[in-house]
Amino acid sequence: MLRLIATIRKEWLLLLRDKAGLALLFVMPVVLITVMAVIQDAPFKDYQEIKFDILTVDNDHGRLGRHIREGLGGTGQFNVIDTLQGAPLTEAQAQELIADGTYKICITIPKGATGEIVSNANKIVNDISKRMGIPAQLPVKAIASDSLAVQLYFDPAAKKAFKSAIRQALDNFLTQVQTDLLLERIQMQLRSRDSSVHDTFPTIRLKAVGLQETMIGKGKQIDVISNSVQHNVPAWSIFAMFFIVIPIAGNMIREREDGSLVRLKLIPGNYLSILAGKLLFFVGICVVQFYLMILVGLFGMPLLGLPKLQLGVDHLAGFITAVSIGITATAYGILIGTLFKTPNQALNFGAISIVILSAIGGIWIPLEVMPEKIQLIGRCSPLSWGLDAINDVYLRNGNIRLILPDIIRLLACGLLMLGIAARVEQRRIS
Amino acid sequence: MNSIEVKDLHKTYAGALVPSLQGLSFAFPEGSIVGLLGPNGAGKTTTISILCGLVKADSGTVKIFDLPQDAARREAVKRIIGIVPQQIALFPQLTAMENLTYFGNLYGFKGASLKQKITNYLEAFGLEKAAHKEVRKFSGGMKRRTNIIAAILHDPQLLVLDEPTAGVDVQSRSMILQFLREYNRQGKSVLYTSHLLEEAQQICEDIVIIDEGKLIIQGRPEDMIRQHADCRNLEEVFLLYTGHAVRD
Repeated sequence: MLRLIATIRKEWLLLLRDKAGLALLFVMPVVLITVMAVIQDAPFKDYQEIKFDILTVDNDHGRLGRHIREGLGGTGQFNVIDTLQGAPLTEAQAQELIADGTYKICITIPKGATGEIVSNANKIVNDISKRMGIPAQLPVKAIASDSLAVQLYFDPAAKKAFKSAIRQALDNFLTQVQTDLLLERIQMQLRSRDSSVHDTFPTIRLKAVGLQETMIGKGKQIDVISNSVQHNVPAWSIFAMFFIVIPIAGNMIREREDGSLVRLKLIPGNYLSILAGKLLFFVGICVVQFYLMILVGLFGMPLLGLPKLQLGVDHLAGFITAVSIGITATAYGILIGTLFKTPNQALNFGAISIVILSAIGGIWIPLEVMPEKIQLIGRCSPLSWGLDAINDVYLRNGNIRLILPDIIRLLACGLLMLGIAARVEQRRIS
Repeated sequence: MNSIEVKDLHKTYAGALVPSLQGLSFAFPEGSIVGLLGPNGAGKTTTISILCGLVKADSGTVKIFDLPQDAARREAVKRIIGIVPQQIALFPQLTAMENLTYFGNLYGFKGASLKQKITNYLEAFGLEKAAHKEVRKFSGGMKRRTNIIAAILHDPQLLVLDEPTAGVDVQSRSMILQFLREYNRQGKSVLYTSHLLEEAQQICEDIVIIDEGKLIIQGRPEDMIRQHADCRNLEEVFLLYTGHAVRD
């Protein structure tokens, strides 16, 4: 125990004297998560929070155009623009504004669209009435137009998902208007047949079953994944924790170069107890780093106008995850410190490998949006296991049982790396 | 009892074309102060590394105070041997006191008794005023002296020093040599390597000259000089046996 405590004390003193190392471990990660959370705030914001400008050219001046304009405006996600400098927007002006990238989307409602829908609804009602023995009364256009369509113009730079969302919303409005008009016509026909119940005739209601959104989990967190703080603070905290490989590997190589490692090995007692002291110290540093960044997420981010970090309900599970990530990161540092002969080699390999592991492990962008093959590789990254476990705790209100597979993976990986380092060291002696 | 007994030691490092040790054998009795001399690449550092268990010999045996240097007894050997490596095996960012306290803790010493022991050694080596100064700010001589203190905190029966006076000023060298004589006078054995043959002649009772991994000659320095009428000092004896060709 004395050897363990003495080693922890020694590492603490060495860290205190290394001002650059202290900055690397504590100041840089705080700056990193703050910068990343701020610059990724907009892309992470809900579509509900962002308002898109939509140009509308209403050549119909009927019910369809009104319904689309009101429907889009009512979602709160769109600013419907139908005039330019006080005058109604024309199709040519709209096309020009889309082409030069000023606006992303334009919807043109063709002339006679509402009339076409009404005529179609009348035709259906007349057909049904005729089959029921009721004389057809509603007016129908002699020749139906085949080429009438609501026209959409998109900026070529618009994202596929954005186009798809707009198309889906418009399709919904079109269906709704057509259904409403059809039901209205049916009602009208029924009323005209039975004039005695004219005032008390019930309104036909089509939507019998609706949609309700309920989140799964112990707490009441709703949609926290879709903000920048909730992704960036844990993700970049894990990234920063893994950067501990740089001071650890540097520390180990320096000990080997200046001969102090030789002295440590010449002292009676198991060298593993000294290594365990080093491991404990750096795992402790990792955990302190993690919670420092969590504090920034809790108190610093709101000061910058960003959302507050949500921590889930099982804080012990969060702590276990932080310790497990710390053990794996420290073991990786010890492995690099053992494998490489110079600090330069270790620094370059360590830094680049962490950037790669973090990129494929979902730290930069969520793993789910990556190509399938990269996802498969990414799921082998210890940073991905760490992030999964953190998300389980913070977003899904998970407990220890839920994060256990990721914790086992992290610890097994750490043990494997320590085993390889021990084997390499053993071979070096023999 | 012999403090060191080396028999038919062989060692070839992986990838090396030439063996470092080729059947090296020597022994010297408990309580003696011995110089292990040889030109560059003679096998001195390999021999010391095998003596203290840092490197495994391909074949041959090593006994320290009759204890075989093998895996089973390595810990016991470590307790009776103190090594002063050629490098300054200290943490440069720590003070002398912090370094020595850490190494003392690793040997199992702690508290006031350890502090007293360190203070006594620092005074003996003229470092008491620099106790709380970072080692990286020390002069070469101060580093060498602190390096020696770190090796004797556990009062080893055998002290092995690899070029302890390399790169130090005359005053520091004198202090180190004086300490070695004093330590030996307490009944402790000392084995040391050096390229300074005059220094070795001055303090060693016994000299072992090795070259190309083999024993060339072993004996008292004055006897060696006497045996060769044309040699006036140990350096001339050394050159007689190892030649004048420059070694790298």
